[in-house]
Amino acid sequence: MSALELLGGGFLAAFELWAFLTIVTGLLIGVVAGALPGISFVNAMAMALPFTYVMEPTQSMLFLGGIYVGGVFGGSISAILINVPGTPASLPATWDGYPMTKRGEAKRALTIAVTASATGGLVSALMLAFLSAPFASFALKFSQPEFFAATVLGLVSVIAIAKDQPVITMVSLLLGIVVGTVGVDPLYGQARFSFGIPEMESGIRFVVVMIGLFAIGEVVDLLATNRDLRPKKADGKAVGARLKDILYVKGAILRGTGIGCMIGLIPGAGATPGAVIAYGIEKQVSKRGDKFGTGIEEGLAAPEAAKNATTGAAMVPLLTLGIPGSAATAIMLAAMMLQGVNPGPLLFIMDPSMVYTIFAAMIIANVLMIGAGIGVAQMFSTLMRTPPAILAAFIIVLSVIGAYGVRNNIFDVYVCLAFGVLGWGMKRVGFPSAPLVLGVILGPLAERYFLTSLANSRQDWTVFFTRPISATILCLALVFILWSLAPGLKTLFLRRRS
Amino acid sequence: MKSIIGKVTLCATALLGTMAFAGSAAAQDYPNRPVELIVTFGPGGGADLMGRTMAQLMEESLGVAIPVSNVGGASGNAGLTQLRTNPADGYTIGTLISLTVASWASGLGDNKPEDFRVISVVQSSPSFLFVPTSGPHQTAEALFDFAKANPGAITVATSGYGTQDDVTLKLLSNAGIQMENVPFQAPAERYASPIGGHTSAIYEEPGDVAQFIAAGQLAPVVVFAKERHSEFPDVPTSAELGIDISGLDNYRSIAVAAGTSDEIVAKLEAAVATATASDEWKAFCAKTYTCITPVTGDAAQAMVSDFRDLIAAQLAN
Repeated sequence: MSALELLGGGFLAAFELWAFLTIVTGLLIGVVAGALPGISFVNAMAMALPFTYVMEPTQSMLFLGGIYVGGVFGGSISAILINVPGTPASLPATWDGYPMTKRGEAKRALTIAVTASATGGLVSALMLAFLSAPFASFALKFSQPEFFAATVLGLVSVIAIAKDQPVITMVSLLLGIVVGTVGVDPLYGQARFSFGIPEMESGIRFVVVMIGLFAIGEVVDLLATNRDLRPKKADGKAVGARLKDILYVKGAILRGTGIGCMIGLIPGAGATPGAVIAYGIEKQVSKRGDKFGTGIEEGLAAPEAAKNATTGAAMVPLLTLGIPGSAATAIMLAAMMLQGVNPGPLLFIMDPSMVYTIFAAMIIANVLMIGAGIGVAQMFSTLMRTPPAILAAFIIVLSVIGAYGVRNNIFDVYVCLAFGVLGWGMKRVGFPSAPLVLGVILGPLAERYFLTSLANSRQDWTVFFTRPISATILCLALVFILWSLAPGLKTLFLRRRS
Repeated sequence: MKSIIGKVTLCATALLGTMAFAGSAAAQDYPNRPVELIVTFGPGGGADLMGRTMAQLMEESLGVAIPVSNVGGASGNAGLTQLRTNPADGYTIGTLISLTVASWASGLGDNKPEDFRVISVVQSSPSFLFVPTSGPHQTAEALFDFAKANPGAITVATSGYGTQDDVTLKLLSNAGIQMENVPFQAPAERYASPIGGHTSAIYEEPGDVAQFIAAGQLAPVVVFAKERHSEFPDVPTSAELGIDISGLDNYRSIAVAAGTSDEIVAKLEAAVATATASDEWKAFCAKTYTCITPVTGDAAQAMVSDFRDLIAAQLAN
């Protein structure tokens, strides 16, 4: 049977009442969980795992797939409305999305975000359905040096966030990398900066740092400044974005989608690096790049498209190779194996109808997401009318639960609260906290890939430059640095000459 | 909104589950509330599948819910620290696997064999060297000969330094077969690397790479055990090839904190025995090539402390 026929069968199966309801339920859980500060879609999927025991294998994948797709978008709702990213991948949505809310354009920002996310997710799901096989072998070409290069590109993109304070941004980033080194080192089992505290040996999780800096820090700031969250009325744009707004950012959406699809394929990367790299590249490409961070539509659309474009792409290595590319797909792998299903090349031969039902479900979920996203966003903008003090209490409770839920450890709650105080302080003095979070996320990855690359090449560091894909990505990173430093270097050069 | 409430309730249950309740329930009416099972690794791995399958099966015989929580980190030591420091009342049980025991030998964590009481060792499997079927060396002889002629040219994907993987490679190196240890922390990356042709071989137990063996992407070439594996009768043991390496099997057990009363341990042991006798468990262990006759009591305890000493002795060499 051809792929198209199989996909047709998949659609029929996915549109059966129970299957369809499962997708919708998963999607709603995902959007709500993603939007709640402190609870990420990975938490939600882990919590949903026991419920899949009673389901059929296909149904359990539809459920988790729905949560995944919805959750990756959901984080942007709170990022745009209250400057608190619901999940790490929504971090870039705070940079240009929240400024739009401050201008009274919350609805427009949300519409652009949901359209971009759905487009990215849909393209990615179609790619999953039709190009799984060739892309799977492409993903295998990536080894540790390539992962390292991609991570370096992610770190370098942080320069793009630096508006006019590159030095402070770098300090913040390096601080994050230092925090990321806490705990047992990934290769040699040596404990670092653990000060003899057993809990410190397991390291400081980036989710905990993020919840602390953004959710708790933001809430303390909210209470301290007695800000009013109520949406500004009468801005004349209550209908949300018009078609021409969407068409205006179509370039950004397409670029973001392309980047997200590529990054998602790489096992180990995922939505967060995808979104950050897309933001960095968009800043360089866009005509209004220098204004990024002040509520520019392209700066919102590109990372939104990219992060949802990683969802379908990340399922390519999972379904075709049995290799999960991210925490979310690792949970899906667990669900499949608990059902006695082994993903991998054989799954396509043994049970193609299941595979194509999952493909169809991913496509349906992304289309339905527009409705679910706008619906939940409405609910959340109603929440904005509640007094800040009540909202703050809820966010803190959810943050504490979220920090605890990362690995069911009370120590993480203390770390989270400590970073909350730090985050508030940083906000007060205007020290950027986003680079710090990215340092905590990407630093340990870069270290692990770097060390394993060396171990696999007899400690020969030229391996990063002699492998074509790795060399290309590193060159891209270099171009990126030069490009973003170009204006500064130019003035320096001109000053020299005169 | 229902879903939020559901999640919050779930979280609250998990919170309560780990809290120490004042006063200890009498051992006679144990268990009269949910028993938490700590899986000491993240979701999706071998320990997780074992823990979750076991929890499901033990619920039936214990008659209470057994919520599973993944407390990963530090080679399983983060979860074990939690198991050790929770009250020894049988309401927290956990997974204890050989990888974590090996990590103690290399100085990781502050847990000791004496801190735990092993209820039952339920899974065990020898490890193999697997090569990608697309690679140049398709037999152990070819692989070893090449390694002897070109020391360090063969790379082996492993789970880390200071593990039984590392010890096996060290023993091979002592016998003149020097292969490079390439540690991959993430299992997915470890499996992808030989299949993608980035490493020459992988050291793994067959259950973890079953789907790659079935798909014809990886092929076993040598087993590190006293006898050939019944599922892979054509694969020679290392002893047949002149290097006797055994006793480094990867095992998984269910344990509680030391100091748990004998009555509770007996009840848990009975529940585990009922679980492992079930058809569901037999199907599960057969699929992962890890079926063994469960080891309990002092023998199980000795298995853990002997293994720690064995690895420590080998690493000191």
